[in-house]
Amino acid sequence: MIRNIEHITKSLIDERMPQWFNTLRIQGLSRFIETGIPAVSDPNWKYTDLEALKKLAFDVSENGELNEWELLNQFRNHKDINIVLLNGAFSVKHSDLDNLEKGVLVSTLHEAVKNNAPHIQERLTKYPMTDTAAFIALNQALNGPGVYILVDEKVVSNRLIHIIHVTHPGRQNFASMPRTLIVMEPFSEAAIFESHVAFGDSRTYFSNALTDIFMNENATLHYCKSQKESLKAFHIGHTRVWQERDSSFDGFSFMAGGRLTRNNVDAVLNGEGANARLNAFYSVNNSQHVDNHTSIEHRVPNCASNQLYKGILNDSARAVFNGRILVRPEAQKTNSYQLNKNLLLGSGCRVDTKPQLEIFADDVKCTHGATIGQLDEDEMFYLQTRGIGKNAASRMLAEGFLSDLLNTVKNAAVREKLNSLTRRSFEAS
Amino acid sequence: MSRNKIEKLQNEQTTENNTLSGRDYKYGFVTEIETDRIPEGLNEDVVSLISEKKNEPSWMRDWRLKAYRHWQTMKEPHWPNFQYSPIDYNAISYYNAPKKTTGKPKTMDEVDPELIKTFDRLGIPLTEKKRLAGVAVDAVFDSVSVGTTHQSELAKLGIIFCPISEAIQKHPKLVQKYLGSVVPYGDNFFAALNSAVFSDGSFCYIPKGVHSPLELSTYFRINAAASGQFERTLIIAEDDSYVSYLEGCTAPTRDENQLHAAVVELIAMNDAEIKYSTVQNWYSGDREGKGGIYNFVTKRGKCEGVNSKISWTQVEAGAAITWKYPGCILKGDNSVGEFYSVALTNHRMAADTGTRMIHIGKNTRSTIISKGISSDESNNNYRGMVKIMPSAFRARNYSQCDSMLVGNKCSANTFPTIEVNNNSATVEHEASTSRINADQIFYLVSRGLDTEGAVSLIINGFCKDVFKELPMEFAVEAVKLLEMKLEGSVG
Repeated sequence: MIRNIEHITKSLIDERMPQWFNTLRIQGLSRFIETGIPAVSDPNWKYTDLEALKKLAFDVSENGELNEWELLNQFRNHKDINIVLLNGAFSVKHSDLDNLEKGVLVSTLHEAVKNNAPHIQERLTKYPMTDTAAFIALNQALNGPGVYILVDEKVVSNRLIHIIHVTHPGRQNFASMPRTLIVMEPFSEAAIFESHVAFGDSRTYFSNALTDIFMNENATLHYCKSQKESLKAFHIGHTRVWQERDSSFDGFSFMAGGRLTRNNVDAVLNGEGANARLNAFYSVNNSQHVDNHTSIEHRVPNCASNQLYKGILNDSARAVFNGRILVRPEAQKTNSYQLNKNLLLGSGCRVDTKPQLEIFADDVKCTHGATIGQLDEDEMFYLQTRGIGKNAASRMLAEGFLSDLLNTVKNAAVREKLNSLTRRSFEAS
Repeated sequence: MSRNKIEKLQNEQTTENNTLSGRDYKYGFVTEIETDRIPEGLNEDVVSLISEKKNEPSWMRDWRLKAYRHWQTMKEPHWPNFQYSPIDYNAISYYNAPKKTTGKPKTMDEVDPELIKTFDRLGIPLTEKKRLAGVAVDAVFDSVSVGTTHQSELAKLGIIFCPISEAIQKHPKLVQKYLGSVVPYGDNFFAALNSAVFSDGSFCYIPKGVHSPLELSTYFRINAAASGQFERTLIIAEDDSYVSYLEGCTAPTRDENQLHAAVVELIAMNDAEIKYSTVQNWYSGDREGKGGIYNFVTKRGKCEGVNSKISWTQVEAGAAITWKYPGCILKGDNSVGEFYSVALTNHRMAADTGTRMIHIGKNTRSTIISKGISSDESNNNYRGMVKIMPSAFRARNYSQCDSMLVGNKCSANTFPTIEVNNNSATVEHEASTSRINADQIFYLVSRGLDTEGAVSLIINGFCKDVFKELPMEFAVEAVKLLEMKLEGSVG
């Protein structure tokens, strides 16, 4: 899949980097070689066939200059702090880091490693490589400079931080490995939006993103990952969230693009009183394939988690949802909620949904649900009797289907961005 | 079935033990009886020998051998969410028949009195005088059926209700046509094993337009040590017919694990309805998880005709491990599949059970109601699949899976899978897991109930959607069974 993977990993080993970081690459490589690309016989990949991805040969190196500066502006908003990565490389001239608030630190991840930022080694090696998923390992082996954001203790950042990963390679079959590390120090608060975008649908590429988020006690993070890649692109992304006491993670994923998209969000609730919200919206057309996996691990008592995943499928698009809630024996008084709703509008679309509850504590309240259906005939009829055309009526109902989900987003800036993104996706369909 | 009353009379001694030790297994006794037994081990000769002992035609033996050869190429599945000590398939005796019944008795009076007594003690009277009105019983003891009641009454209506070994002799065409048509021998590891070595079970054939006036029922009893039970049941309901079938099972208390691998196939033609109810109470092992039955069962119904209906109701309260997914293939247009289940685990039992609904025909509907109760250190899993095929226009499914946890060392897991390949389908699934509600217990206790009475009432309410599907006598039985199992779990 990746051309000369061993050679490339070796070439990425940098003597100026600390030894442990280079070791991480080697470990990632050997773990990836060990696991290989998962097949459909792997229960985690049962409904997502990677055969097409496997067949293509990707190159990691890319130094094409980006000339379509105007196109980039459609994603940027001057109210925000924009951090732009072009084909995986940090672009200083496109980013506006001068406006950073005091106590918010942004740099490339590699720089942070080189400068030995506090606890960075501990954080990057938090998850043992031995049971790491294939694509996380691949990112560990090949990741680019990446992004490092640290919000200092008791700092409340009011401006939205927008990380824009633009993939627009000069040639086909480029593989990008975005790596992001977000650290929220105690009592801090911030809103971070991470976008994966492309210019048009002409390029075939593979984006394998890995984002790690560490929430210290009482930290609050409003986070959104939005993804609208080229229609020929493959996107596999992992977001791992680690939560300490009384921290609050308000997360959202928006998936609209790519030939094949897989989005994993894993949260570990490791401190009492922590709460996690993982909501998502996916909207796919034609023969697009979107696969959402979530995993929430309740390790300690008195935590809450909420998941609401909604999707609209047109044409012959496919969606997969797999949500796992694990409640460890110690995690009493857990409150966990999960719901997956699918609206099937296309005649050839297909949904496979598989919620999983694994509960080892007794004093808990856990529920999950899944629905798959069409627009309500009575509602359609009502709108049509009021003189609203069929298309407008169905769009109205689809927007209604989505609106309660968007209302769960607490941060106004994040919500506004999501509103305009979803509106665009409705217009497209 | 007034099994309870009879138990009261017969088990005075055991009842005493029950009150002393909290909740003992009432059916744990062993019947001392001479048996015709094939030595432990499994090979082609054993398969042929079973076939020979049952005096089967050659096509049956060939089918068994084919299944055996296929089984050898298969691997034991380990995807269920429990661990168990490995099964040594060569340490099991695959055929155990009470000696005196080797020649099939013609009437109940000829049945070995020792066996009649055993079934009496289990609450299943077989003799003419005592037998239950309204329920025809086929009693299976280890590898053979020892007697079937009410056969002549049923025959008048054209209903065939007999042990499957008898059906192979007397109705070979029907058996040959339908055996393996819903669960082929290669379906899974345990179905293949069963197909090779199955011993007895029931065969029911309901002709066109007949509503069976009696409940048909089979009672399975494992008695012999180091043996397994491999029953095979086949029910065929022709156009416009109706049958309600009940199944019960128990086994002696032993320290070793015994294997039970059954296959049940149901076929419903146009407008036919089959209602299949199970109260499973195999010996589940002791408090430390020693002993008990390994229950690996493949049950599947096929709604072949239009407007047909198959309904599964199960109360799973026994067995050390349970691996069971009664399913429906909804092939006929407008056909209906239902699954109602209560699975209770205590001590160190593990249950991985649920259903599969495969929608193929148009306007097919299915309902799944599953209630799991886990207590002590047990592990209770719901695993289900709803699959809507591209041809199933306007298919509907509603699933509800609730789990209740009683005690803080148990676990409850839910693994539903929904695959929708047709956009006109409507599928709804909901599941919840929670602890038995302390406020409700408090309320009931404040009204003068003791804690156990309160728990029992709450559990009853929790399971009522399932119990109301059971025939009345069975429902009473099921309630008692759960009460007995949960005694001492709370407090």
